Amino acid sequence: MIKRYLLLFSLLICLWCNAQPAESNASSLFYALRTKVLTVHDYVADVKMKINVAYMRLPDLKGKLYFKYPDKIKFERNGGISILPKKNMNLAMSNLIPQGKVMVIDAGYDTLGGKKVHVIKVVPEDEGNIVLSKLWIDEQALVALRTETTSKDGTAKMELTYGMYISQALPDKVVLYLDVKDYKLPKGVTMDYDDNETNSAIKSSGTKKSSKGTIQITYLNYSINTGLNDDFFNSNTK
Amino acid sequence: MTQLLRIELYKIFSRPRTYISFAIIAAISGVIQLAMLSDGGSFVNFALQGVNEQFDIQGKVLNGYLVTYITLQSLLIHIPLLVALVGGDAFAGEASMGTLRLLLTKPISRTQLVLAKFSGSLVYTLLLLIWLAIVSLGVSLLLFGTGDLINLKSDAFVLIMHNDILWRYAAAFAFAGIAMMSIASLSILLSIFADNAIGPIISTMGIVIVLTILSNLELPLFTLIKPYLLTTHVIGWKGFFDDPVPYHAIGNSALVLIIYTIVFLAASIIFFNRKDIKS
Repeated sequence: MIKRYLLLFSLLICLWCNAQPAESNASSLFYALRTKVLTVHDYVADVKMKINVAYMRLPDLKGKLYFKYPDKIKFERNGGISILPKKNMNLAMSNLIPQGKVMVIDAGYDTLGGKKVHVIKVVPEDEGNIVLSKLWIDEQALVALRTETTSKDGTAKMELTYGMYISQALPDKVVLYLDVKDYKLPKGVTMDYDDNETNSAIKSSGTKKSSKGTIQITYLNYSINTGLNDDFFNSNTK
Repeated sequence: MTQLLRIELYKIFSRPRTYISFAIIAAISGVIQLAMLSDGGSFVNFALQGVNEQFDIQGKVLNGYLVTYITLQSLLIHIPLLVALVGGDAFAGEASMGTLRLLLTKPISRTQLVLAKFSGSLVYTLLLLIWLAIVSLGVSLLLFGTGDLINLKSDAFVLIMHNDILWRYAAAFAFAGIAMMSIASLSILLSIFADNAIGPIISTMGIVIVLTILSNLELPLFTLIKPYLLTTHVIGWKGFFDDPVPYHAIGNSALVLIIYTIVFLAASIIFFNRKDIKS
């Protein structure tokens, strides 16, 4: 009987020992990634943005994307109009990773584009906008290849591709998936010119009236830690 | 014929009322520009509130191109009225003054007279549109500068780059010329049946207003007739501010308007040739 209890006890100890490194491994992976991401305090990048939202008809937007930690972001198009998703769907990686004390949960491994990635879930212990972050991390390069951030405003999914700036965890290409609300103005106000041609052209191009949208940003180059001023982000001409 | 056109143009431009149209266009355009200068930001925020819920739109949204678009949109109903002021007066004005019979004693055919009156109205209409381009586009660009254009449709948000706009305005004004030509021919046709200019002017306006309402009512009853209504095609200029530009639909609208013009003009010639001129 005592032998049985000893066996069961040692089995539990073994299971606990096995589980502990996994959680601590996930935690250390998260903290290492966060430290790497936070080395970039600000950046200026030449970008090309493609917004694919059912009700928006825009050409590709080229311009400069300015970022300053923690959440300041501005897109300038040489005097032109720029469009960015609202701040709750921030494009900067550092804003999608919870800050302060967090609880890290190991969610196992997954494969993204043929690459084995470590999946972790991060729950912030401090009260903030982010409720839960799920990160798909390439352990070798120490970069997140996919994020799924649930905030009080909804869930934002992002896929990241890296190139020249992988050492600073800055992506070459980001695809942001977002939920899009319906857009409608009364026809009596807009007095639209009814033509079936544009509608059929949009249909044939494969853009369907969908509640989902994507924003694809291609980063052409970065200037990192240039010391951007906070006031720069406050100017907004309408 | 050239001499006849010259006389018609002299008649049109020697009347003070002709210049009222130019003053009205300048006034409307000026009022809109003033309003946009003083509180354009609020207007833009209100118009974009549906998009602003999800997106931050930064940059110079309120620019000369947008103000011009708003001005043209507001003048949608007024320009046909101003065109009708001259077209409606073409024959009825002569009849009310008692000069029509005298005019027809000259060695000119009635058809030539209709064509001369139509050409005179057309020149006036084109000058009106050029004036509109100067006071709306020219002045707005001076006051507000250039920038990308946001076009809000009932179901779409269209953004046009600043270097891709000017040709659209040129095309839109050219299209407006075709559209107003049809209105001018309608008012000339109505003018033939009246002995007082007010009748055809008000009738033209009434037709435009009723047809505009029918064109904008989203009722199945009117869906069938909409493609044949004059006012459905008059706003074809807006197509140039869409992406992609519906060239086929715009071409179709231009064709419908030209057909309307030919029909109205032919009817004017037929009815005027048959008319018993008593004054």
